[in-house]
Amino acid sequence: MSAGRILVVDDDPQIRRAMKSTLINRGYEVSDSRTGEEALDRLRSETYDLLLLDMNMPGTGGIETCRIIRSTSDIAIIMLTVNRTEKDKVEALDAGADDYVTKPFSTPELLARIRATLRRLPQAPDEAGLRQLILGGVEIDLPSRQATVRGRTSRLTAKEFDLLSYFLRHPNKTIAHRELLQAVWGPDYGDELEYLRVFVNRLRKKIEPEPSKPQFLLTDAWAGYRFHLPH
Amino acid sequence: MRRALTINPPVKGILAWEYFEVRKRCSNAMATWPGWTNYSASKNFPQKVMRSTLRLFLALSLVATITLVFFRGIHVNATSVGFFYLVAILVIATTGGLLEASVSSVVAMLCFNFFFLPPVGTFTIADPQNWVALFAFLTTALTASQLSARLKRQRAQALDRQREMERLYTLSRAILLTDTAQPTAKQIAHQMAQAFDWPAVALYDRNTSEVYLAGPEAFPNVVDIDAKLRESAILSRVLHEETDDTLITPIRLGGEPIGSLAVKQAFMSDTALQSVLSLVAVGLEKARAQEEANRAQVARQSEELKSTLLDAIAHEFKTPLTSIKAVTTDLLSNPQQSLSQEQRGLVTIADEGADRLARLVTEAIQLARIEGGKFKLNRGVHFPSSLLSTALRQTQFLTDGRALKMEADEGLPSVLVDAELTQMVISHLIENAVKYSTPGSPIVIGALATERGVVFHITDQGPGITQEEQSRIFEKFYRGRVGQHLKGAGMGLAIAREIVRAHGEDIWVESSPGKGSKFCFSLPIAPVEPNR
Repeated sequence: MSAGRILVVDDDPQIRRAMKSTLINRGYEVSDSRTGEEALDRLRSETYDLLLLDMNMPGTGGIETCRIIRSTSDIAIIMLTVNRTEKDKVEALDAGADDYVTKPFSTPELLARIRATLRRLPQAPDEAGLRQLILGGVEIDLPSRQATVRGRTSRLTAKEFDLLSYFLRHPNKTIAHRELLQAVWGPDYGDELEYLRVFVNRLRKKIEPEPSKPQFLLTDAWAGYRFHLPH
Repeated sequence: MRRALTINPPVKGILAWEYFEVRKRCSNAMATWPGWTNYSASKNFPQKVMRSTLRLFLALSLVATITLVFFRGIHVNATSVGFFYLVAILVIATTGGLLEASVSSVVAMLCFNFFFLPPVGTFTIADPQNWVALFAFLTTALTASQLSARLKRQRAQALDRQREMERLYTLSRAILLTDTAQPTAKQIAHQMAQAFDWPAVALYDRNTSEVYLAGPEAFPNVVDIDAKLRESAILSRVLHEETDDTLITPIRLGGEPIGSLAVKQAFMSDTALQSVLSLVAVGLEKARAQEEANRAQVARQSEELKSTLLDAIAHEFKTPLTSIKAVTTDLLSNPQQSLSQEQRGLVTIADEGADRLARLVTEAIQLARIEGGKFKLNRGVHFPSSLLSTALRQTQFLTDGRALKMEADEGLPSVLVDAELTQMVISHLIENAVKYSTPGSPIVIGALATERGVVFHITDQGPGITQEEQSRIFEKFYRGRVGQHLKGAGMGLAIAREIVRAHGEDIWVESSPGKGSKFCFSLPIAPVEPNR
């Protein structure tokens, strides 16, 4: 049985070959695309669990491709970038990526990231007795991962959903950055504050009536985040 | 004379005594050649006298004709003749000048008396009533002449003003339309000479420190004019060139002299002169601002180019490295690959080589970015202990097996820094400590609050650094003598120093041979927010 279907998108043929061979070796089903346009075409006809997307490609670049995919799909996306700067990381996450890996990366690192991205929280929130959440004008349907705010419905990506689930299981309690990162992304994480910043912002845009003045997903300066659930 | 009548109150920006000087100068010039004058006046001088003489002759002829007609031809009474004389004087006054009108008045009065007032043929007058008539005639004639002449003069003045305005307008348009093909000051000098028919103009632009000459004639002593222009601009004072009516005046903008102007025979009203100076000031300032904007744009473009180039290099180097690294790490990590001991060793060499190359590229790009000012500090408030522990985690792969001791008080004040860059500094220092000390020897990292901020320190028990070397280790590509054989490009400390300096702080080393090294750098304490 395949561990997952992965689409590798990179303009460098050697990288595609190396990754394909490595990933197939680890039990994944792998296809590859040379450009963003080709990847978009493929995604229309086939389904994948995860996309490894190079940020720097000719034509439709990685960021733009990621945005286009995100507008219609919640497939897991890991961006591959050559820059280690905070600006690039945030740009990748902002475009809708779930994670990113800096080139050159080691195979174990990449595999860990893929596992973390495909990894789902063991305990689904409905087990905790929550199926639907209706809070002042906001409706969150957990099984279908849909949030409706003021009549506008948006679907949460897997990671956004996991983050929200974790918050819902620990309402009205400040959760430290580190705890959140390790719970949602995995034990290898802990210092990636920019992940939380971007993902919390993305969640706010989907579930808050006024994302700039959040009423549910609150920031506790220095400490972490808190989900305010009115009793 | 006439100039004195048109003097306006001193214009802002020119001192009163300078103003007086200018006025006196212009007055002197005007005294010699009345009316609107320019440099061509001197050439026209004999012509003007001839024209004046001709007009006087014509006026006197008119008086003589009337006398002849009424004395010899038509016989009318004396009063009628008097009126005819008056009409003639009025005609002369309106068409000619004051001189012709006044002379004609007196001559007409004499003719009237001699030929028409009894006893005819003498200058004596029998009837006292006729004295009154004669006096009334003379007064009327002279007054009419004066009035008429004044009107003419005012008209001429109005015309002068209008011409000045037109020229100023031409100049302002020309200044607005200056292009970038030539220096603006040069174009302005030409436009001034052209608009005001000035024989010679020299314009000194303080910004470029250049003097531009224009006009059909030349200054007799260009070197002298050059020096005086600079002097005028520096002292912000009006100067004169006594030999040939040259006026040298500073050009000021907001009270600051930004250049100076020398004009040969600039006979114009002071208001107009001040307007010209203001226009030129605005023109020069506009050019300076434009030039500054251009420079800023060029700098920005070159920064952008550099940044694009760095990104391209990073991409070009790291793409092949990525495939190498993917393969080597795959081979080394995959338990299914049945590599022999020897093969594993060879792949490890390739893997380490790829790592080293990747670090070199990263460091070179970091340094180029930081040195090119291509990084912005993304300052935030951070706890020193969390900065240290994050850096420690990031360098874990390097420090495996080493005794690393952290000495950071939890009660340390927060620092206002760019966390990413600060962690980079700590990582570089930890890496150096690991690299330059014997395996297994302890490394201590920590931070403490001092007067100058929070001082971070990384201490190793390596061979130490000599005094001579201490001054050089922060230089780019410098590597300690003991480290010649070690990996790295010698950029770590240079990068660390640039980052710390960007925070307005400093980095230093305390070391002596055989006693290990302690690298320290300070960071600014975050201001305490009252609501926290």
